[in-house]
Amino acid sequence: MNRPNSIFEEVLGTLPDRQRELVEAAYALLEHGSGPVHRQFLPALSDATSRERLEELLRRTGRTLVTVDQLHFTSGFDDAVRTELTEMGWQPLSLADRAVLVLVLVHSVAIPRSEEQIAADSWESPYPTTLQDVTRDSKVPVGEVRAALGRLTSCGLLRTVRGGDHDSGYVPGPQLSRLTPAAREQLQDQLILAAAPDHPLAAAIRERRHNRVGGQR
Amino acid sequence: MNERDAALWWARIRSGGPQQVSAGGPTPAGLRRLVEADAKAVWLIPNLPDSAGPAVLIEYGVPGSSMMDSKGTLRVLAATLRCCWPDPATDPWPGLPASTGHVGEVLRRLVPGRNKVSRQQLLSAGLRRLSVSGWVLLEATDTVRIGPRIASFGSLELSTLRELWRLIPDTPEDRSEGS
Repeated sequence: MNRPNSIFEEVLGTLPDRQRELVEAAYALLEHGSGPVHRQFLPALSDATSRERLEELLRRTGRTLVTVDQLHFTSGFDDAVRTELTEMGWQPLSLADRAVLVLVLVHSVAIPRSEEQIAADSWESPYPTTLQDVTRDSKVPVGEVRAALGRLTSCGLLRTVRGGDHDSGYVPGPQLSRLTPAAREQLQDQLILAAAPDHPLAAAIRERRHNRVGGQR
Repeated sequence: MNERDAALWWARIRSGGPQQVSAGGPTPAGLRRLVEADAKAVWLIPNLPDSAGPAVLIEYGVPGSSMMDSKGTLRVLAATLRCCWPDPATDPWPGLPASTGHVGEVLRRLVPGRNKVSRQQLLSAGLRRLSVSGWVLLEATDTVRIGPRIASFGSLELSTLRELWRLIPDTPEDRSEGS
């Protein structure tokens, strides 16, 4: 019942049927998969023309190919599109949702990372944040925290882990693997500014940003 | 509208769900317009070919981000579809508005064993969750409609949905409610 998509026609129109099918399938797997996809499912990546068309298809729809490791790939927001939308004030998450997400990232990633338990550029964490961690000293009311945790989990920004009494809680979800290297770096900087504003690292980040803004003028 | 503006619209929809715009504006490349019944506003949703849609995941055996029904949310969606989509031979969008009482009555047959209070909680929590992501639209406090996201189902998914529709018993709206 869907009519032809003009972007797909423009980008893939000249490809032979079989090649077009593989590029469309790769687009579907990258965009709709719950997490990174093994390259054995993505034959379009092995062929230069197909890969180029796939990347063009992603770019035209506001996305980009993200390499997770040698074998796994996913898609994420194009850095230029993300920057432009952010500058326009686009923000689909509510204030409470963002506050709760930051608290989970601080407990599950920033603290273990500062103790060198998690690699510098990784957003996967085996350290769950409990409901108590989020509500302790929090300005967000408990009811709102619960609702926010539910929403963040259902959209894949968080994931629940169940274990013994001490191991169940929330960790960063599969959507975090869709961050581009630039987005990961920016999130890491923001997390340092939020969790340790007085740390020398935070001062260095502010200095770097100040210089960057100054350099653009 | 240039390529960059179209890409921005795709990203807004990906991050914030179907977007409502005024009826007069242009349609960004690759998107579909869903006209509201009063023709004053349209929703923009991706117009993906089936061969690039979520159905491909099943073919390749790759897991997708499916919604869990642990809290009964999918049953609430099923009951809403049964009430707001009077004729499954047609497209579900825009459908007809239904009262939450009617949806609750249909839901009663889908969650046997629940008492009235627990069913009411399931209904209101389920509708709230579904409306956040655009699967249903909450009109007034007691009226519900099909959400624009339903229109993004491909032909394969729609035929499954039609089969399910026929399995769900309808219940007259005005029947007095037991528990």
